[in-house]
Amino acid sequence: MADEFVVDEAVGPSCVEVLTDALPVRGDVHHTERRVWFDTHDWRLFRAGLLLEHHVRKRESWLVLSDLEGQRISRQPIGRAAVTAQSLPDGVTRDRVLELIGVRALLPRVVASGPVQVLSVLGPEEKTVARIVVEGPTTVRDGAPVGLRARIESLRGYDKDAAKVCRTLDAIPGFGPAKEPLFESVLRAAGLHPRSFRSKPDLEFIPRIPVTQAFAGTLTQLREIVLDNVEGTLRQLDTEFLHDLRVTVRRTRAVLKFAHGTIDEDIRASYAVELKWLADQTSLSRDLDVYLLGFEDLVSHVNASGELEPLRRQLTRHRKTAHAALNRALRSERFAALLDGWQRELAVAGPAERPVIEVADDQLSRAWKRVAKRGDTITDASPAEAVHDLRKRCKELRYLLEFFGSLYGADARSEAVSELKLLQDILGEFQDAEAQRISVHQYAVELAKAGAPPATLIAMGRLEHHLQLRQDAARAEVADRWQRFNRKHNQRLYARMVTSR
Amino acid sequence: MRIVASYSIKGGVGKTTAAANVAWLAAESGQRVLLWDLDPQGGATYLFRVRPKVKGGGEALVSGRRDLRDAVKASDFDNLDLLPSDFSYRNLDLLLDAQKKPTRRLGRLLDSMADEYDVVVLDCAPSVSLVSEGIVRAADLVLAPLVPAPLSVRTLDQLRSFIAEAKGPAPDLLAFLSMVDRRRRLHRDLSEQLPNEHQDVAATAIPMASVVEQMGVRRAPVVAWARTAPASVAYRNLWDEARLHAKI
Ligand SMILES: Nc1ncnc2c1ncn2[C@@H]1O[C@H](COP(=O)(O)OP(=O)(O)OP(=O)(O)O)[C@@H](O)[C@H]1O
Ligand SMILES: [Mg+2]
Repeated sequence: MADEFVVDEAVGPSCVEVLTDALPVRGDVHHTERRVWFDTHDWRLFRAGLLLEHHVRKRESWLVLSDLEGQRISRQPIGRAAVTAQSLPDGVTRDRVLELIGVRALLPRVVASGPVQVLSVLGPEEKTVARIVVEGPTTVRDGAPVGLRARIESLRGYDKDAAKVCRTLDAIPGFGPAKEPLFESVLRAAGLHPRSFRSKPDLEFIPRIPVTQAFAGTLTQLREIVLDNVEGTLRQLDTEFLHDLRVTVRRTRAVLKFAHGTIDEDIRASYAVELKWLADQTSLSRDLDVYLLGFEDLVSHVNASGELEPLRRQLTRHRKTAHAALNRALRSERFAALLDGWQRELAVAGPAERPVIEVADDQLSRAWKRVAKRGDTITDASPAEAVHDLRKRCKELRYLLEFFGSLYGADARSEAVSELKLLQDILGEFQDAEAQRISVHQYAVELAKAGAPPATLIAMGRLEHHLQLRQDAARAEVADRWQRFNRKHNQRLYARMVTSR
Repeated sequence: MRIVASYSIKGGVGKTTAAANVAWLAAESGQRVLLWDLDPQGGATYLFRVRPKVKGGGEALVSGRRDLRDAVKASDFDNLDLLPSDFSYRNLDLLLDAQKKPTRRLGRLLDSMADEYDVVVLDCAPSVSLVSEGIVRAADLVLAPLVPAPLSVRTLDQLRSFIAEAKGPAPDLLAFLSMVDRRRRLHRDLSEQLPNEHQDVAATAIPMASVVEQMGVRRAPVVAWARTAPASVAYRNLWDEARLHAKI
């Protein structure tokens, strides 16, 4: 039985009267309420089955956490000011929300307002046994209004009473079960679709579709994801926007590489240049983000705190300049032209060509061979460049698996990816430690010139040493992990993937 | 989850009244509160208009045959739920005694609620019994009304030793003067003297007031419907003190 009803316009104005006639209710005061739904850009709360709402009335405001069925988990008094992750008051809401959102910012996703009246349904001894919340019509910011609703709130230990109220409402002419809860209607009215949010392309290829079509579809999605992250990157809402933007650009570059022989060579080459330019614009900002996000952790490893404060300030300053430069790039005509051309030239399928499966088989087996060739030459003594080279080839293979994965059995694909991931993790650790070590050194030189205290420089020396140890430890494991990855089982796995269909 | 027991050895001193008001105040601040009425007379249950009935009675709950959760009833107030009284609670001592570790039983039962509530308030009948040992043992804070009288200090001492003798880690104790009539010299003196001389007596005293008596007629905590009455202000101050005292 529905617990949310749509109230017909004809009944609308007399809704409360109708309910008062039908049930023993007591009406509370009538309010105008503004509601703001908060979530991260990638809907982490929603995906975990939670809704976080800020209800603002003239004199009072609350923070309300509930599940998607409307069951309330917590309701806390809170100020009228916009809610942020930092300003959440202590309690279950804060605990649950912080755990879910991680580094992402809590953002107001949709704002709606309208009249709300709560009716208490009374049982024996005038005890409240259920509530009817009459809400609407609701004005949705940037969207069409949502009509009048009557929602039944059940009270713990009084489920039967709530069910009875539902049956009563169901029998009243002009009350029809709502197809979806109010928040779904509000989100939809505002053009938001949390269930279809993607931070990476959603690819499902049929083996026989023309390869041109597969590329055009993927590139269309990639462009949308880039666009989806521009605003948050510009405003620095959180560090994940830039991260996702950057990863998407990287994916796009990989896809373009795979499109060798499919997309016109001149076009491909010119976008390769433009995308490299874009990727370069993001590098410094992201590096500094990563640095600062992991700063506390890093500092804790070398047993320093105060001494490294100048380094933190330095990094913060650099990040500010780097972000400003990035923002200029994102607001430039060159970027606008890239997005525009991307739409016109990359997101459209050329004349039908080979089926996608042929290209996939071909490229996967070649990429696998390239990885195998590098891996086999890796020893504990081989130079850093060889490790980097292997890392790049692995990345290529990983992107291929992502891109063409849907063509192969889900089991084989996910096993291949998780095996590869183990190898990539150690290669990544090697690379990150090296990059940070080099930059610590550079920063030390800069800070020394600027007259930083010796204690700072000494602590940075310890930091450099710590990073060197990390890099060495990763390095020492590369050959082992390669052996594990390259065992017969995985060789067969890849062979099977491309021949088994 | 923090557990507050409203307790005194004496009857009719304001335990139930304090439990109801304190529970409401915690709920108002956004904490999720459960008030467990362990008194077979069901004073707190009556105040919240809930039917004094638990399916299967105390036996089912204490033995674990019935999940505590299933017996919970929402009050009319946000964030405030009730575990109602049941007449069978008059045998609660016997029921507990039949369990393995009788004085730990109540605490154990409440452990299962830890993810659903931030604060649990226990209200029980006055006496020295297995039930009161159990609630003292389960509690993080014992909130004890003390009626101003020449023997107040002795009552306080009895309370302290009762808490000290209870097994397990000792809860914090916060006694407070209850039903203080400012027109009476002795009441005025004691409500100044006791908090000054004893760390475990709250600075806030609850005045004798007819609004408090009205709770039984209105059937809702006074803090909910007479927010600015001196008694309500006193309960609010008392709760603030208690929260600081026991870090709730
Ligand atoms: N501050 C007060 N002013 C006036 N009357 C009060 C005050 N506090 C409590 N009372 C009244 O005194 C009576 C006893 O209070 P209450 O039920 O809270 O005490 P109790 O300690 O729980 O009693 P019992 O031991 O029977 O459980 C009630 O009628 C209550 O309304
Ligand atoms: Mg009582």
